[in-house]
Amino acid sequence: MLYINNLTKNYGSFTAVDRLNLHIPEGDLFGFVGPNGAGKTTTIRIVCGLLKASGGTVRVGGTNAAVGSKAMKRLIGYVPDFFGVYDNLKVREYMEMYGSMYGMTYRDIARLTDDLLELVNLSDKKEVYVDTLSRGMKQRLCVARAMLHNPRLLILDEPNSGLDPRARVEMKELLKNLRSMGKTIVISSHILSELAEMCNSIGIMNRGHLVAAGQIDDIMQQLAGGSRIHIHVLSETEAAVRLLKEQAKVRVESVRENDLIITHSGTEEEICALIGSLIQNQVILTDFHREEGSLESLFMQLTGGAQ
Amino acid sequence: MKIRLNPIVKKDLHVTVRSMRLSWSLFAYEAALTVTFLLALLVIQQANSYMGQGNIYASLIYLFPTVAVAQVCIVALYVPIITASSISGEKERQTFDIMMTTCMSPFSIVFGKVCSAVLRILFFVAASTPIMALSFVVGGLSWINLFYYLLAVILFSVFAGSIGIFASAFCRKSVAAVLLSFVLYFVIFGLSFVPVFLRLLFGSGNGGESMLILLGNPAVFFEEFFMQIMTGESLFGRSGGSFDADDVGLITYILARGKLWMFASAACILLMAFLFMALAAWKVNPMHSGGGRRPAKKQA
Ligand SMILES: Nc1ncnc2c1ncn2[C@@H]1O[C@H](COP(=O)(O)OP(=O)(O)O)[C@@H](O)[C@H]1O
Ligand SMILES: [Mg+2]
Repeated sequence: MLYINNLTKNYGSFTAVDRLNLHIPEGDLFGFVGPNGAGKTTTIRIVCGLLKASGGTVRVGGTNAAVGSKAMKRLIGYVPDFFGVYDNLKVREYMEMYGSMYGMTYRDIARLTDDLLELVNLSDKKEVYVDTLSRGMKQRLCVARAMLHNPRLLILDEPNSGLDPRARVEMKELLKNLRSMGKTIVISSHILSELAEMCNSIGIMNRGHLVAAGQIDDIMQQLAGGSRIHIHVLSETEAAVRLLKEQAKVRVESVRENDLIITHSGTEEEICALIGSLIQNQVILTDFHREEGSLESLFMQLTGGAQ
Repeated sequence: MKIRLNPIVKKDLHVTVRSMRLSWSLFAYEAALTVTFLLALLVIQQANSYMGQGNIYASLIYLFPTVAVAQVCIVALYVPIITASSISGEKERQTFDIMMTTCMSPFSIVFGKVCSAVLRILFFVAASTPIMALSFVVGGLSWINLFYYLLAVILFSVFAGSIGIFASAFCRKSVAAVLLSFVLYFVIFGLSFVPVFLRLLFGSGNGGESMLILLGNPAVFFEEFFMQIMTGESLFGRSGGSFDADDVGLITYILARGKLWMFASAACILLMAFLFMALAAWKVNPMHSGGGRRPAKKQA
């Protein structure tokens, strides 16, 4: 769906994006992660035709349309990282304005506005002034706006920044909904765990380079050489340790009374199978969980520490 | 195909009409025109009673140019201020980026902005037409002139708007854009006289074609316009008759006849307006200006 080839962007002598190669297949919910200043926004703005690349190519869909051409713009819906709204404009008029910028008829716009406001849960706000909406509502309105012309690719730049936890959950649900409608979605964030919950593939960017990209599980393993897992057993600690040591992809890190910490370099399915075989061998598990915050520590490790 | 209002014009009208600022500026504008009108009336009456004779109604004809000039000056000051802040205003809100990702071409964005400024000033012009009309009633000018005058004002506000939008496209800050528009005014209104003066000072008394540059000067256009309306003659004398073909270049000589200068000048001004808009559209198109601006960053 989205092919980025050797994309480079220089600001003077500073290289914000350095020979970026990325392919996002149709139907993906792709998370674009990196610390502030990694070059996410720059990449996104180039794809949306808001910035001229210094080198490289971007293709969307099967088309060979140039970046910034009308054909390309019809394929992309863009939600910027920060945007203001107009005073004295109602939600309905806001949608109408952008709809007519795509040359749609007022009747189509009215119909789609109803559907989309329903989708983003703003149906009752149709006649409300845009500047009176909450931050989360504005964000969702902007998503509805970006969907007006029925784009195939939806790009959201840090849609969760400035949202409270509740609004984040709503945004996540909305994105999952959109994905089930068959949209390809790219969402950027500087928080990995936030994306890990909803994306099926991610790309991690640091200082203009793409340091890792692919299916989310693969990336996790590739990066950490496995997940750290905490296990608490009621008894039979010896048997459990013996069993765990027999597994090829498991390394037992520490054993303290009934608490075990292991790292597992296998897939999700293999982790499930491990739980199964523990239970089959009469080991009574009271806890089995992936270490929290390990995502973030991974991320730090990968992106060379905090900024 | 159905003709549709440019979406930007529609939005801007919604936003403007609902703002309190419009009421206040309309009020201020009306007040300024009324004061001008009354002052002009006073001066005319004084002059008449001083001379002690003559028909006061005949002199009232001068109410028209006085009020009209005041109006043109207000338009000249106000329109660039509206347009100069329009693009930078959208950029400050980052709504400009969203616009640029739609199918609007940069030119239609720029054009829409100019149109909404022109429409906005037309509210004012329309609201003050009764005052203007009064000078027609008592002054005895033909009604058709009022119509021509409105056309000239529209032409001029398109021009002033395009200067503002040009400045807006090249400046990051609204204030800088307003300043740049007035610098451009100075160049167009003031510096366009320089070749003529140089010719007069150092030349052999022959103006050559140095006056042609004044075709693009709206001030000269309005002088000629009022001259034609009030006297039926050209600024350059009766039917351009005060020039010999030897005094000036051939083209100037031809243009100075009848109403030719006025129309040629109108065409020049329109062309310049178009050029300013085209340049602005070129400048705001991210595919042309390679640098790419980064708007003032939000929270760290
Ligand atoms: N217009 C610009 N001029 C110079 N440097 C810029 C400009 N825009 C962005 N940058 C730099 O490019 C880098 C990447 O920025 P950005 O793409 O916004 O990062 P992200 O969105 O990942 O936080 C940053 O170091 C930033 O300072
Ligand atoms: Mg960013």
